[in-house]
Amino acid sequence: MVEPLLVVSGLAARIGRVPILAGVDLAVPARGIVALLGRNGVGKTTTLRTIMGVVEATAGSIRFADQDITRLQAHLRPGLGIGYVPQGRGIFPLLTVRENLYLGLRGPADPAIETHVFERFPRLAERLDQKAGTMSGGEQQMLAIARALMMRPRLLILDEPTEGVMPRLVNDIRREIAAIAASGIAVLLVEQNLRTALRLARHVVIMERGHTAFAGPPESLRADPDLAHRLLGVGAPT
Amino acid sequence: MLANLATLALNGLAWGLIVALIALGLSIIFGLLDVINVAHGDLFMVGGVLAWTAVETTGSFAAALVVVPLLGMALGLATERFAIRPILRNPALTIVSTFGLSLILQEAVRATFGPAPRRLMAPLPGTLPVFGTNYEIYRLAAAVAAALALAAFFLFQQRTRFGTWMRAVRHDRETALTLGIPVARVQLLTFALGAALALLGGVIAAPITTVDFRAGVEILPACFMAVVIGGLGNLPGTAAAAVLLAVTEGVVSGLSDPTAARITSLCLMSAVLLLRPQGLFAGAAR
Ligand SMILES: Nc1ncnc2c1ncn2[C@@H]1O[C@H](COP(=O)(O)OP(=O)(O)OP(=O)(O)O)[C@@H](O)[C@H]1O
Ligand SMILES: [Mg+2]
Repeated sequence: MVEPLLVVSGLAARIGRVPILAGVDLAVPARGIVALLGRNGVGKTTTLRTIMGVVEATAGSIRFADQDITRLQAHLRPGLGIGYVPQGRGIFPLLTVRENLYLGLRGPADPAIETHVFERFPRLAERLDQKAGTMSGGEQQMLAIARALMMRPRLLILDEPTEGVMPRLVNDIRREIAAIAASGIAVLLVEQNLRTALRLARHVVIMERGHTAFAGPPESLRADPDLAHRLLGVGAPT
Repeated sequence: MLANLATLALNGLAWGLIVALIALGLSIIFGLLDVINVAHGDLFMVGGVLAWTAVETTGSFAAALVVVPLLGMALGLATERFAIRPILRNPALTIVSTFGLSLILQEAVRATFGPAPRRLMAPLPGTLPVFGTNYEIYRLAAAVAAALALAAFFLFQQRTRFGTWMRAVRHDRETALTLGIPVARVQLLTFALGAALALLGGVIAAPITTVDFRAGVEILPACFMAVVIGGLGNLPGTAAAAVLLAVTEGVVSGLSDPTAARITSLCLMSAVLLLRPQGLFAGAAR
């Protein structure tokens, strides 16, 4: 059996001296979307930051593409094929759209990828020389996703990509995420909306206070409304 | 009288551009590493001392202009690696560390170069008629050299990949890391670049001031004032503020005396802190 692209096991982490994570397990296969859910403050963002190496893992392991990256320096991880779109987008407002877009590249961009990204996000192509801070929240979100795609990731990690985005663009962004996954890039998606998560994902992970409380297919959550209610404080959608 | 004031304003301009070089280094180091480099003035002083030494041994000021900033870069690399990097997670400690470095540099210069101030001959002797007086050619050349160095720095920051990385790391280190930017290396080279600018300032300034182991202590307050008045993190604002302060001080000290000039600067800084704490040029392009 092939190992999933990303395997996180028994992960623990602290912020300052405060233990935030203890016992996070999750796996992302090479194709499809895995949704990571949980109430506010359970440690979803911290899990992603630990995967990216900006928070140090104090126990457990992170494997990516059959390689142990638990202790790998943070700036070397994206080069392995991990794209990250942080919560709050992580756009550099004083840099131009172009500068933001190419920030993660060491050499010239792959023209095929460039074309592909601009087809996907035509608004960005029109605004290349504008300061990124002048764009709307939704456009900045698209820029953050496009910037990650420019680096040709095998796995794209998105932290609440529709948070604070105007409703008209929310569906656009969700559609793009589905399309990105369909193009063969694995996606790990932190999502507040259970309904969206169940619709997009082939696998769901729910966290509770720093650890994994549930991992399974969307069907088992649909089949057990009490579980979703207990872990997320919402009723399971039909 | 008017000609005299013009001379003082020109002196201020040249001096201000030199101060801008040093203030710029101070500002980028603080912006990218959260380090207040208390020894930054002393790096300027070391630049002057090395320039004097280079001219004494080789007879060539041009050699000093090339070699000393490179030595500054090396000094900056070593300092970051051994005195800053190990304690970078603790910004308060870096003040102690750079203060220690400041004392080491001053005492090392006093022990080797000696405590007496020395003068360096202007490498371009002669004068030029400006506004009806004869103005030293070297001072004009110093102003041009400092302005060119400033322009080169800004071009580097705006046009090169490394410069873009510097701007990104200044704004958000964590996101920079998650894009694969080697943040530690960017910080290391930023410190080295800041040190090189300070030593370059020391070389340019050496012929128009006295070379003295206390020179760094004297110039540092003006650099901090430029950073505050220009707006923390606003590099063009910092450079502009350095020039504004020096020209104002030059003119005021001509009309009255240097003490009144320094008081004027301090009043200006207090006014900026009270009325525009983001800096005089906040909102302008960074
Ligand atoms: N910089 C920090 N300093 C101290 N505590 C922090 C810090 N960042 C996060 N925490 C704490 O760690 C816990 C997990 O935070 P995290 O941001 O990972 O949660 P989350 O699941 O992403 O929440 P949300 O849904 O609100 O984004 C929270 O209790 C939070 O208060
Ligand atoms: Mg979060």
